[in-house]
Amino acid sequence: MFEILEHTADIGFRAWGPNREELFANAALALESVAIEIENVEACEVYPVAASGEDDESLLVNWLSEVLYYLDGRRVVMRRFEIERLEPFQVRGRAWGESRDPERHPAKLVIKGVTYHQLRITQDQTGWSAEVYLDI
Amino acid sequence: MSGRIPIEATDAVRHRIPRDERRGMRTDVVVYASKQILDQISKDLSLEQAMNVATLPGIVGPSLAMPDIHQGYGFPIGGVAATDYRTGVVSPGGVGFDINCGVRLVRTSLTEGEVRPKIRELMNQAFRDVPCGTGGAGHIKIGEKQLNDVLAKGTRWMVENGFGEDSDAEYSEEGGRLEGADPECVSARAKERGLPQLGTLGSGNHFLEVQFVEKVHDEAAARAMGIEQGQVVVLIHCGSRGLGHQVCTDYLAEMGAAMKRYNITLPDRQLACVPIQSPEGQSYLGAMRAAANFAWANRQAILHFLRGSIWQVFGKGTRIGLIYDVCHNIAKRERHVVDGEKREVLVHRKGATRAFPPGHREIPASYRNIGQPVLIPGSMGTASWVLVGAEGAMAETFGSVCHGAGRLMSRTAARKGRNAKEVLQALEKQGIVARSETRDGIIEEIPEAYKDVDEVIEVVHAAGLARKVARLRPMGVIKG
Repeated sequence: MFEILEHTADIGFRAWGPNREELFANAALALESVAIEIENVEACEVYPVAASGEDDESLLVNWLSEVLYYLDGRRVVMRRFEIERLEPFQVRGRAWGESRDPERHPAKLVIKGVTYHQLRITQDQTGWSAEVYLDI
Repeated sequence: MSGRIPIEATDAVRHRIPRDERRGMRTDVVVYASKQILDQISKDLSLEQAMNVATLPGIVGPSLAMPDIHQGYGFPIGGVAATDYRTGVVSPGGVGFDINCGVRLVRTSLTEGEVRPKIRELMNQAFRDVPCGTGGAGHIKIGEKQLNDVLAKGTRWMVENGFGEDSDAEYSEEGGRLEGADPECVSARAKERGLPQLGTLGSGNHFLEVQFVEKVHDEAAARAMGIEQGQVVVLIHCGSRGLGHQVCTDYLAEMGAAMKRYNITLPDRQLACVPIQSPEGQSYLGAMRAAANFAWANRQAILHFLRGSIWQVFGKGTRIGLIYDVCHNIAKRERHVVDGEKREVLVHRKGATRAFPPGHREIPASYRNIGQPVLIPGSMGTASWVLVGAEGAMAETFGSVCHGAGRLMSRTAARKGRNAKEVLQALEKQGIVARSETRDGIIEEIPEAYKDVDEVIEVVHAAGLARKVARLRPMGVIKG
């Protein structure tokens, strides 16, 4: 699903999935997991999440920035993502979660932004994977 | 990356990477470092990133790397680059996600001896009064119209609305307000993200530290700043919170497409830039300046809350005043002399501090004879420094110097084999009381994760970019 990567000042993750849709869903989950303890997040509300880009990389960065906006701007924590439609330059999906309650969802790290630093999206026989670094 | 980097020592603290046209470099890279620091720097991508910065269209003078340099994204952290204001580019990556992340130093009329016995009480009080903002919202409840005023007026808005004293706005870079801020250029999302976070410290390497002046190195300069050995001061390190982060995200997304229109290609997408004089460039600068003003208002609100905490514990008779406030993630329109010629440039300081020398008209009158105060936070639990800008900075680095100790160790490496309780106990043993809102925050900021701040200071002092004034030691820390 995903693992954490090291960076001198910040933090990254490698996410993967059997197809591009699951890669996007797992990358979103990785971002949530870096920021908060997601164990207690109840999947009781559903939120539409959509993004566009001009290529694979910007589509993924903009998608994750959207998830971050929900987290830091709307104060919504999410624990399940489903991609409904993924076109070359557009992604649309749904996410399940709830409004953040700092008591039940303590912060681990505050993410400032999603970067293009060493961003890599690759495909092989087993599926798709991506490496993404976040500014902390 | 592409093999060994050809770096030559110019003297004991200066090193040069000559321009390599095959890599698209338009200028040299100059690195300020001791041999030991250079060895540390060479272990990550900092130098490659400084070479990438040298490819920016319209760069004037060399791409500069300060001794606290470490790997960032696009720009290295501890990097300085000036671009021609008429023909050059502006790069949001050269400012970073945390626009006007900066530091302010506050003097108190208390001594170390007075504060030590009550340090636990003071830190508990301050931890209640100064929200980190990683949990809930801050204490300042304003609407969008007032937020637009904050974005236009910075520190001044806080002072006018009861969050501070008149002199708080005077002792700050730019008086705590950048001209040319345009709240209209800040997206609704950025405002939504920032609004509840106004007056909060944030997380990561941000902190509030109660410190004492351990040693004065320059009596005259210290006297001008109203500090002496044994005196208690407070260092506040934070930025523009979610508002600035979203401004950077918004404009990075826009600039990817805009770069194609302006035929700009770069080795690293995080360096994304557009001509300063383009509509996109002007719009970004309007938004960046607004976010910078938000950051100054934010640091001012924190100073106001801190005043309340200190008065609560030590009584209202305690005098608390701002020494100075500097930004270290910013792009500034400035005039500099380059190769004997006066040039108007945009100085990108990404993890670097302005350090104007004595006599500069931008410095408040009471500091004009000593030079601009430069505030360098060290790592948690070690030391911080007060410097003043020197002539060397004007001659060589577009009036810039380092901004901190610089990270050495990754966050995951710092966490390995450590827990928060042990870290807190180790700090207590050194007489430092720490409070943190996030579980991982305190472990990831352990002193061992950073370079030695004293070594960084020795380099900039020896290079003549800034002069040592005082070394500060912590007694209490609040981390986000």
